[in-house]
Amino acid sequence: MGRRRAVITGVGAVSAFGVGYDALANGLAAGRSAIGPIRNFDARTFPTRVAGEVPIEKTSASLLEKHRGVLLHIGEAAAWEHSGLLRDRKVCFGLIAAAEAWRHARCGTAERRAALSIGLGLEQAFLEDFADQLDGDEIRIGAGDLAGPEGVRFRSRVDLTAEKIRGVLGLSGRVAVHVSACAAGGTAVAHAASLIERGAADVVLCGAADSMVNPLGIGGMSRLGAPSPRAEPSACRPFDRRRDGLVVGEGAAMFVVEEEGRARTRGADLLAVLAGSATTQDAYRATAPRPDGSRALAAMERAVRRANLAPSDIGYVNAHGTGTPLNDMAEAKAIRALFGDVPTSSIKGAVGHLMAAAGAIELAACLLPFTRDLLPGTAHFEEPDPECPIHVIGPRPLQRRVEYVLSNSFGFGGQNVSVVLGRPR
Amino acid sequence: MRLDGKGLPVIAVSTLTAAGLAGRGLAQRVLEKSLPRPSELAPPAPSRPEDIRQKKLMSRAAWFSALVMRGALEEARWDEARAEIGAFFGVGASGAEMDEVARLVAASMEDGQFSLARCGREGLDACNPLFAFQIMNNFTLCHGAILEGLAGPNAAFFSRGTGTVTALEEACAAIMSGACERALVGGADTALHPVTMAELEREGFLRQGLTPAEGAAALAITSTAEAPLGYVEAVRVFPVERPRGTLVPRTGVLRDAAVPAALDALEDQPCDVVVLAPWGAPAREALLDLPQVLEAELSVDTSLTLGESLAATPALAWAVTLDLLAHLDKPRALVLSAGPDGDLGVVVLAKGGA
Repeated sequence: MGRRRAVITGVGAVSAFGVGYDALANGLAAGRSAIGPIRNFDARTFPTRVAGEVPIEKTSASLLEKHRGVLLHIGEAAAWEHSGLLRDRKVCFGLIAAAEAWRHARCGTAERRAALSIGLGLEQAFLEDFADQLDGDEIRIGAGDLAGPEGVRFRSRVDLTAEKIRGVLGLSGRVAVHVSACAAGGTAVAHAASLIERGAADVVLCGAADSMVNPLGIGGMSRLGAPSPRAEPSACRPFDRRRDGLVVGEGAAMFVVEEEGRARTRGADLLAVLAGSATTQDAYRATAPRPDGSRALAAMERAVRRANLAPSDIGYVNAHGTGTPLNDMAEAKAIRALFGDVPTSSIKGAVGHLMAAAGAIELAACLLPFTRDLLPGTAHFEEPDPECPIHVIGPRPLQRRVEYVLSNSFGFGGQNVSVVLGRPR
Repeated sequence: MRLDGKGLPVIAVSTLTAAGLAGRGLAQRVLEKSLPRPSELAPPAPSRPEDIRQKKLMSRAAWFSALVMRGALEEARWDEARAEIGAFFGVGASGAEMDEVARLVAASMEDGQFSLARCGREGLDACNPLFAFQIMNNFTLCHGAILEGLAGPNAAFFSRGTGTVTALEEACAAIMSGACERALVGGADTALHPVTMAELEREGFLRQGLTPAEGAAALAITSTAEAPLGYVEAVRVFPVERPRGTLVPRTGVLRDAAVPAALDALEDQPCDVVVLAPWGAPAREALLDLPQVLEAELSVDTSLTLGESLAATPALAWAVTLDLLAHLDKPRALVLSAGPDGDLGVVVLAKGGA
C-alpha cells in the first residue's frame, strides 16, 4: 500500500478583502492592499489606528444568517447574539470560512465524521464587562454572585469557535485547538495532514480564525511596540528597508483536507497536496526572534525533507514577513541560506497580520500558484534592504508556474512552522 | 494511536500539586487520601537570575509549567542536545494578573463609566507594556522551552481535558515518525483564576461538583530506554456526541461511550488498574461502572483528591498512574479523563522496569 497523502479539496476565507475566498484571491491577484482605518471601534485615541480589518462593522446574527452553508437552527444565531457570543469577531469569521470550505469541497453526510483541527487566537477580553465589576482599585470577579450575568462575559472562551463549527456542521470527529500564537494556523493544517497520513482521520476540516482588532488586542500589541507607528495604509511593508512594524489583521481561512485516494474516488477537486511540514522552537527570548534564524531554517529544511524534495524544488516561499525589523531580517537570512534566490513574498502588507490565522490565510494565498499560476506580491515593498538579501516579489504578483511552494509562520514565544504545498497531478 | 511493541518509554515525571513539586510519591498520597484539599498552590519562587527576569512576563500556569519541565528534564538527566527535544503541552485560558487588568480599567474610567477614548489615551499606559506576553496561551509552553533550551518539534493545544491527551498523542507521533527522539509532554493550568471561576460558574460546572484546582505535570518520553518508569501503550481521544449548543454530553451518552473507548484502547489486553479523572458528579456517575466492566483490581478517582485543574488534569492522572503501577507492581493501567470539554481521553500505560 502506498503512502497516504493529504490533499486540499475545499477552501473558505474571510479577510480584509471581504467575505469569501474569491475576494482574497482577486485582491491578491490584482496586487491591491486592504489596510485602512479601524472602523469596528473608535480607535482615534489609540496608538494604532489602522488594521487589516474585515469590512464588517458588527458581527451579528443577521450576518451569519445571510451566509449559505452556515446551517443554523431557527433563532440560534439570535440567541448567540443575545448571549454576547458574537461580540468575539473570530467566531463569525471562523463559522463563515468553515461553511464556505465545506460547501466548496462538496462535503455531505459522509464527511461529517471529519476531525476539526483549528488554530485560534486569544480569548477576546471585554473591558466594559470588567469595568462593571470594578470596586475601588480591584476587580471583583469569581464564583457565585461574582460570576456576572449569564452568557459570554469578561472574555470569550478560546475554543468557542471550534465548538460552534462542530455544532453547526454536525461534525462527529475529534477536535484539536491549536494555540501556537501566530504559528497556530500553520500548525493546525500541518496537524490535519499528519492525521490523514497516519490513518487517524480520512477528512479533516482545518485552518484558523482570529481577530485582535478590538481595544485590548490593538492596545496590547501597541504596548509591545509591534505595530508600525504610522497610521497609513502602507504601514506594513515587509522586507522593505524602511519597514517599521506590523499591521494587525483579522479573519479566517479554513480548508477541507482529505486522503488523496478518497478525494479522487468521490470526484473532489484537488487544489493542492500537503507535501510536508515541520515545527521547531526558537528557545531564545520571549520578546524577540532568534536573530540568526537558525531554528526557522531548521523548520524549513525539515519540511522540505519530509516532502522528499530538495530545496531547489521549491519555486516560491510565502514568508511570515511581518514587516518588523527583527523578524524579516532573521527570516531572510534563513530563506537565503536554504533557497538562495527563490521568489519570496509576504501578503501581510495587503491583509495585515492575522495572528493565529496568519498561517491559514497565507496557505490560502499559496493556492494561487496552482490555480492561477500567480505568485502573490508584497504590498508596499519598494526599497530592498541589504539586510534582507532575498528575491522579494514587489507589490504586483508574479506570473509563474511552480510545482511546490513553502509557507512559514513564526509565533510570539518562538514557535515556528513551515508547510510545503504541491501542485496536484 | 496504538504504539507498536512495548510502547514508548516514559523515563521521568514531574508534578506540581498541593503536595508541592515532586517526581514520585503522589500515588501513595492519593491512595492514602493524605493530600491537602485543592487550593491555591504556593510554588517555589524563582531563584536563578534568568527565572527572576522571565517570571515577570509569566502567568501562574506558565511558571508551573516551567517548574515541571525543569523537574522532568533533571530526573531524565537530559542535559545534552536539548535543542532537539520536543515539547507538547495542553494549556489553558490566558492567565492575566487581575491587578494589571484592574489598573488598565481603572485608568480608563470617566464619570463612573468605561471610556474607550480614555482607554486609548491613558488606560493602556497604566499596565505593563509586556502584558500581552502574560496572556498569550502558548506562553505556558514557550517560557519553559526558552528557559530550558528546548528547540525541537512542538505544539500547544488549548485544553479543558482532551487537548492535553492530544498533546501526548502528537508527542508520540513525533517520536514514532523520527521528528524527534525525546519529548516533554504535559499540561499546566489553573481553574482558580477569577475569570475562569466565573466562567465555570456560569457554565454550571461548579454547581455540578467540579472542584477547581491548579497544577501541572510533565512526562519525559523517549524512543528507547533500558529501565523506564513505564510505557505509553496507547493514546486516543474519543469525541462524544452531545446535544447541539450544550458543552458536555448527557450522562448516559458518556457512559455508553466510555466502555467501547476503553476496550478499543486496550485492544483485548487485560487491565489491572483503572484511573479516572471525571470533571464532576455527572461524569463521575457515567464512569462509575467502568472498573467493574474491565474487571480491574483497583480503581482510583484522581479528581476526588486533586480536583479539576483543566489542562493539567490528564497529565496529573498519568503521573499518578505510573507511580501506582510501580508502587503496586501491576502490569497495566487504563487512564480515562473526562474533562469539561465533554470528550474522552484514554491512555493505556504499562509498568516499566528492566
